[in-house]
Amino acid sequence: MQSHKMIEKKRKSRDGKKHDRPQKFTKKSKFSKKKGKNEDEKRRTGPRLPQSLRKELDRVNPNDQSCSEEDEEDVNGDVYEYEEGVPEEESKKNRRFDSVENYEYELPKDFKDENVDSDEDDDFDGGENEIAHHKGKKGDLDQLDDDVEDEDDERHLRMLQGITGMPSQAFQDRKKNKVVVSEGYPESEYNPTRDVLDGDGRIAIEDLLESIQGKPGYRELRKITRQVEKKGKLLQAPLPKEDRDRLERIAAYKQSKKDITRWEPLVKRNREAPTIIFDKDTDSGFSTIGAIASEFEPRTEFEKKMSSLVNDDDVMAAHKEDGSRLLELNKISLEDYINSRNHIAKMRSLLFRHEVKMKRVKKIKSKTYHRLLKKDRLKGSVGMPMDAEEAKELAMKQEFKRAEERMTLRHKNQSKWAQRIVKRGMDAQDEGTRAAMAEQLHQHALLTRKMNSMKDSSSSDDSSDEEDSEKSDGSDEDKASKLLAQAQEKTRRVLEEDDGVPDSGVLSLPFMKRAMKKRKEAADEEGRLAIQEFESSLKELEDTDGAKITKTGTVSGRRVFGASKTQVIEPKNKIRSSSYSSDSEAELEAQEDIDVSLGRTDDMENNINVNSVSLYVDADIAQDSVLKNSELVKDLGPKMTYEVSMLKSNKWKKMSSSRNEVDTNGKRSQKVVEPVTHNQDIELEGVGEDSDADSEGQMLDGILSSEHKSSYKLPSQAELIREAFAGDDVQEEFNKDKEEIMNLENPEPEKPVQLPGWGQWTRVQKKKGLPSWVLEEHENAKRNREETLRKRKDAHLKHVIISEKLDKKAEKLLTGTLPYPFTSKEVFEQSIRMPIGPEFNPATAVKALIRPEVVKKQGLIIKPIRYEDVDSHERGGEERRQSGQKRRINRNKGRVKAVVAKS
Amino acid sequence: MKVKVISRSTDEFTRERSQDLQRVFHNFDPNLRTQEKAVEYQRALNAAKLDKIFARPFIGAMDGHIDAVSCMAKNPNYLKGIFSGSMDGDIRLWDIANSTGSERTGGASETVIAFFFFLSCFRYYHFDVYLLVTTFVGFGNVIEVIRRTVCRFPGHQGAVRGMTASTDGRTLVSCGTDCTVRLWNVPVATIMESGNLSDCSSEPQAVYMGENAYWAVDHQWSGDLFATAGAQVDIWNHNRSQPVSSFKWGTDSVISVRFNPGEPNLLATSARLRVVRAKVYDILVFVHAMHVCWGFSYSSLVSDITYSRTLRAGDRSIMLYDLRVSSPARKLIMRTKTNCISWNPMEPMNFTAANEDCNCYSYDARKLNEAKCVHKDHVSAVMDIDFSPTGREFVTGSYDRTVRIFQYNGGHSREIYHTKRMQRVFCVKFSCDASYVISGSDDTNLRLWKAKASEQLGILLPREQRRHEYNEALKKRYKHLPEVKRIVRHRHLPKPIYKAGVLRRVMIEAERRKDHRRKAHSAPGSIVTEPMRKRRIIKEVE
Repeated sequence: MQSHKMIEKKRKSRDGKKHDRPQKFTKKSKFSKKKGKNEDEKRRTGPRLPQSLRKELDRVNPNDQSCSEEDEEDVNGDVYEYEEGVPEEESKKNRRFDSVENYEYELPKDFKDENVDSDEDDDFDGGENEIAHHKGKKGDLDQLDDDVEDEDDERHLRMLQGITGMPSQAFQDRKKNKVVVSEGYPESEYNPTRDVLDGDGRIAIEDLLESIQGKPGYRELRKITRQVEKKGKLLQAPLPKEDRDRLERIAAYKQSKKDITRWEPLVKRNREAPTIIFDKDTDSGFSTIGAIASEFEPRTEFEKKMSSLVNDDDVMAAHKEDGSRLLELNKISLEDYINSRNHIAKMRSLLFRHEVKMKRVKKIKSKTYHRLLKKDRLKGSVGMPMDAEEAKELAMKQEFKRAEERMTLRHKNQSKWAQRIVKRGMDAQDEGTRAAMAEQLHQHALLTRKMNSMKDSSSSDDSSDEEDSEKSDGSDEDKASKLLAQAQEKTRRVLEEDDGVPDSGVLSLPFMKRAMKKRKEAADEEGRLAIQEFESSLKELEDTDGAKITKTGTVSGRRVFGASKTQVIEPKNKIRSSSYSSDSEAELEAQEDIDVSLGRTDDMENNINVNSVSLYVDADIAQDSVLKNSELVKDLGPKMTYEVSMLKSNKWKKMSSSRNEVDTNGKRSQKVVEPVTHNQDIELEGVGEDSDADSEGQMLDGILSSEHKSSYKLPSQAELIREAFAGDDVQEEFNKDKEEIMNLENPEPEKPVQLPGWGQWTRVQKKKGLPSWVLEEHENAKRNREETLRKRKDAHLKHVIISEKLDKKAEKLLTGTLPYPFTSKEVFEQSIRMPIGPEFNPATAVKALIRPEVVKKQGLIIKPIRYEDVDSHERGGEERRQSGQKRRINRNKGRVKAVVAKS
Repeated sequence: MKVKVISRSTDEFTRERSQDLQRVFHNFDPNLRTQEKAVEYQRALNAAKLDKIFARPFIGAMDGHIDAVSCMAKNPNYLKGIFSGSMDGDIRLWDIANSTGSERTGGASETVIAFFFFLSCFRYYHFDVYLLVTTFVGFGNVIEVIRRTVCRFPGHQGAVRGMTASTDGRTLVSCGTDCTVRLWNVPVATIMESGNLSDCSSEPQAVYMGENAYWAVDHQWSGDLFATAGAQVDIWNHNRSQPVSSFKWGTDSVISVRFNPGEPNLLATSARLRVVRAKVYDILVFVHAMHVCWGFSYSSLVSDITYSRTLRAGDRSIMLYDLRVSSPARKLIMRTKTNCISWNPMEPMNFTAANEDCNCYSYDARKLNEAKCVHKDHVSAVMDIDFSPTGREFVTGSYDRTVRIFQYNGGHSREIYHTKRMQRVFCVKFSCDASYVISGSDDTNLRLWKAKASEQLGILLPREQRRHEYNEALKKRYKHLPEVKRIVRHRHLPKPIYKAGVLRRVMIEAERRKDHRRKAHSAPGSIVTEPMRKRRIIKEVE
């Protein structure tokens, strides 16, 4: 289309801006150009190329024809190569369809001239037979033919016009059709239409544009088309369908490949996980705190109160609107503030004081004190005004005790002890026993009494306890004295402390105060008396004590023990200091020994202490009861303690003797009890020659080592070895062993013996000796043996035996080759090294060790995988937890993984 | 001073309940137990032996069809329901939970015993009663039989070749050689459970006629599309009577189609030559020999031989399609026909193809030039394959009358199931909970198997569970040691299968040997042995 525009332009310039341009003219010009091209081709080539080939050439280099041409048409062609249509020209195009015949007549003449000029053009024929020519020469000259044809058309058209009086446009189409029809053959791929061959005769955008010229929007449209033309490229012919499909498939595959690849990290993680769990998608409830909070419903009163405050409309509104409103709501009056501050300060100081007090109390090391304190606390809790429930509970308890007492009659002379005493007769008993009996009966009476009158039972309870403890374990005299002293002290303390006067309530009334004061004075008096009595009794006790110590000596428990303890420690220390040269082990042992013995003695002492203390009456009972009890104890004192101490020491002896059987330490500790005065003397001499049993072993060691040091000279290493291995020849033994093993693994062939009746006739055999084949065989076997011996791995190794015997039993525990997934022997061995059973592993570990690869539930439908994002760079060590719908990742199973990876 | 004593707090040693175990303390010092490895080895051995003792995989057979079972479908939403279609166009829905053969007789006898007990209680003996009992027994039996088929779907004129159920389990799609696709409403599970419906039969929800016979159908996992395979691959919507789209690539007919469960728009098909163009007579003897020895089916052999004569592309191919671009994606041509394909439900890129040459080939859909794994063991064409929902193993049914279970990455089968009466297996399915296997065979029966032959059914106590786990772990640990390996591997096979296997091995060995010699006697590098993973692949077509 472009070309024909060019031509137009050229023509216009030549014709001096003729405005009337007939439609036919354009047509003609087109044809003329084509003709020119044809001519040019003819001129250029010697041999005649087929039309199709030429077309190819034209397409390859379309402008080479122009350079050789000086013709008008060719110049036109030249111009058309690089010039474009001018808008002003287009304005004239609207007359395209106007029928102006003048030019039409001119142009054919031109053509003719040209045709004549071209000297090679001898193929030209007018009329209809051109078609045959055209066919014969493969459409060589179709352009020329067209021209001629056109001429005819023109004439025909004019004729038609003349006849019908209709404009020429009406017959335009017919003409076009005629071109097609004029060809004798149907259109096919071997016989294309001219339009197709020439690439011409198509409707251009300009053609369409012309029809709307002058209408609104035309200008824009034109501009666009021009732009398109400028930049526009020729559209490629579509690829064949096969190729298109192929490309489409490739693209599709690429796409789907990419889509599948996104699953890779997920799949990888699943594969690497030691365990994959297919679990039900159980809804574990709310996952967020907010969700849980929203479900909360206040139930208790406190909760309701809180919720009413929290959900208060004012507060809510303030929350929603502004923070400052909240502050307003928060306002507290100054008074309130001060009050609260004071309150807090008070509480703090109280707390602090309490703390300080507790610290002080804690520092007190006296066990008695703590014991008493504890009892105090208990008492306090009992004595405290309690609420109904507590009281009820207590009542219940007491009722229970009463019932129990009534059932068992425990305190009614039922025990063996009581029965014995009763059997013997009360008169035969001493004072204390009688008192105890009386006490017991009293206890019984108290317990079986009705509830209301049980208030004072506590003290008697205690006394019964005391009796029990007296029975079970005793104490000695100085316990009694100590006890007395303590009682005395207590009384004094009570006297001192008991002046706290309540400053409120009924007791704060003046007459009450006065009465209290009086009572207190009376009590004080009593207390003072009691202290005096205590003192006197203490003195008495001390006297008796001294006598007893001199008398009994070693027999009585604690005192003797204490003495022995001190005695033992001293010499031991000395031993340690003297035996500095002995090896540290012995020393250590000795030390340990001391420790042990010390511990034991201390323990015993404590024990006795406790026992004796438990004898003691509770200090917090009212003074009179204290006095009474202490008197009682005082009375009982000497005999009781004596008895008990005997018992004690016996027990101890029994214990130690039993320990003696068990270990050697016991033996020593038993000896500790023996009088060791002379022992001590020996220690003091420095070296224990006839050493005490106590430190026998250590002493011996020490002596030995010291003696060595003085006389022994260190032998050399070689000497030592020679001495150590004197008499055994290792080398020879080894050689013998080796030979034995060699013989065992490669046994020596049996020497051939004459077997009568074997091989040959006896007679002959006897004469000939052994048959030759037997000998040969023997020789062979021998040679073989030597060969194998030489080939043995340890043949040249002097000090090594490498057994080549296969152990069948061991074989079944070995794999022939390295199993598949393992890459090295070590890894495989490692994998089956640790046991996994519950006997060899803690229960917590076993579960992880034996966890199967796939955990699923029967009857649970497992759905296919669903996509989730996985960090592909995340290292393993996490276990996959998967459910039908969603999966949870449990990250802290690294241990599991590691373990399983091993197994 | 320090005194060391043994102290045990009562809190730690008090049991919460009387059933609780007493707390025991162990010293796990390995020096105290030097024999632990030997002990565990022995235990592993025992576990392997026990496994053999308890291996009773067959649960029961379901009979009812009067022709070979050609295809099955499982209900993805209901564990107990399984559909089966037969060669005579019968479709049945089975309740596999109530249909074990042994239970049937056992159940009946139990009822009888109970009935007698009931009678003896009342000391009432009468002839009429006996009569009643006998009728009762008969009745019970009948009921049992009927209960097994929950529902029938009559309608297909020819063989039912493909069936599938939608993901919600409401719709069943079936297709067959009568050129129809039928959609059925599946009865609700509650009706199935109640058991009062003895034999319901329903009308198809829709019937779509096609031009060619349909060979397979599969439903998308998430979505309402399903694909049929025949002369071409058609994608259907439930609500449309015409296919939404159809694909055609080459001239071969498609015989199986499977959607990727993970990637719903991806599907794979396998195709075969539509017409066997060969003179069969001259090679018939050879074909017969191959069939006997190798277990190839006749048709495939014939086509295979034809193949070697006229090398034609697009014959026994596996094709991938992508629905989003509505275009085929790739084609892989193998030497022999692929009968069925199954995608791994847990690994959307992998699928396994059941091939006519007795092997299964696992492929990565992205790298089709080489199989990832070749699963050998069958001695005849593999007819069907189905992956376990766990994605760790798959089951195959073969023309050699066996069902095998393979690991997804194992070259040889883990398990083989066979019975005397089971004939050619045409279809197999793994149950949705991965603990059962169902096979349908030429002998008109469906068979229910355990996926793990020696697994203990029923509810296990935690300690039992732990024991089993321990045994499994031990076996796994010592599986490489010769004794354990031998016991675990050993299977008793029917004689024909055993012999066919031996023969197959002999032939393969001979081939290998020949190859080796050929290689040894030719210029180095001139003969290249391809690995088995590549050997059966002809080419990959873009």
